[in-house]
Formats: sequence, structure tokens, C-alpha cells
Amino acid sequence: MMKKLLGCIFVLLLFGTALAEDKRTEVPAGDSPAMGPANAPITITLFIDFQ
Amino acid sequence: MAAGPVVKQIVQAYPDKIRLVIKNYPYKYRDFARIAAEASLAAMDQGKYWEMHDLLLARSPKLDRASLIAYAGELGLDVKKFTGSIDSGKHAKNIDSDLKLAESIDLYNTPTLYINGRQVVGERPFEFLKKIIEEELTAAGR
Repeated sequence: MMKKLLGCIFVLLLFGTALAEDKRTEVPAGDSPAMGPANAPITITLFIDFQ
Repeated sequence: MAAGPVVKQIVQAYPDKIRLVIKNYPYKYRDFARIAAEASLAAMDQGKYWEMHDLLLARSPKLDRASLIAYAGELGLDVKKFTGSIDSGKHAKNIDSDLKLAESIDLYNTPTLYINGRQVVGERPFEFLKKIIEEELTAAGR
């Protein structure tokens, strides 16, 4: 019984971690200031406040 | 706070692999946050966004109207055009749209960045960002 319960918790934890890893937010670039190649494999979108 | 030296460092470390996009999130209780964002976009109109971006970061928090106009002069911009742009809030729509976007993705703090959509909040060390970049490059097969 205990073993089964632990097994369940383990699976749930794994699932949770996988979900956290995959959480992605879509952030459209629009015509915001940008540098670097348009077809770059990585896009970093940075929200800033100059002050 | 803004595009810290770490983000710059990471972009320089992967020159052909990263596109950096800037969104404005002027905090509403800071007097000059919004006009500074206007100034950066006014400079973009004249082809000098990054020069102004760097200058604003270097001189922050001295970002009052007169200082911004002086910076425009320093960068050799058309100061009359620049002043007209910040005074009329020419880019208010762009800034509002960035703010709306931030709200829609539940972002309330700067600096926050997204690496291929993966959220990173706050100033992080180079190695932290590098690890994510490497993971993304591996995933993309590059």
C-alpha cells in the first residue's frame, strides 16, 4: 500500500516537473526594437524599465 | 532596471543564434520611466535605438525631459524632431500595447525576460542564462 502510494507520488512529481519545464509563454515581437537575425533559433524578449 | 550587462554578454556570446527583442514596461509610479521609453522609440525612428538604449541605462535615473533632449543631442539626433516626438507621446500606443501584453501574460516586474517563451524573472548570472540557451539550441538541433 505504502509502496503504491509512494509510486503515485513519484509519478505525479515527474509529471509536474515535466509540465514546469514545458511552460512557455507566447510573446509576439511585433515591431518592437530588436537586434540579431530574424531567423535565429533563440529569441530573448526582455521587458525593461529604464528608470 | 533594464537590459543588464548579463543579457548583453549572452547576446555577444551567441552572435548568430539570438534575436533580442525589447518591450517597454515603464513602472507607473516612476516619474520618468514612461518618457524614457518614449525617448528610446523616438531614437529608433532616427535609427539610433541601441545607442539611446545604452545611454539611458548608463545615465538612469537622470531621465527628466531636459536630460533626454540633451542625450538626443549627444547622439547627433534631429533634436527638434526628437523633442516633438516625446512631447506628443508619439509612441504611446506602442508602450500601451507592451503594457497590455505584459498584463496579459501576468508580468508585473522588471527585468523579466523570455527565452523562447521560457520565463526568467530578475537579474540572473551568466551561467544561468547560458544553461537555458544551450538547452534551447540542443532542442533546435543547432
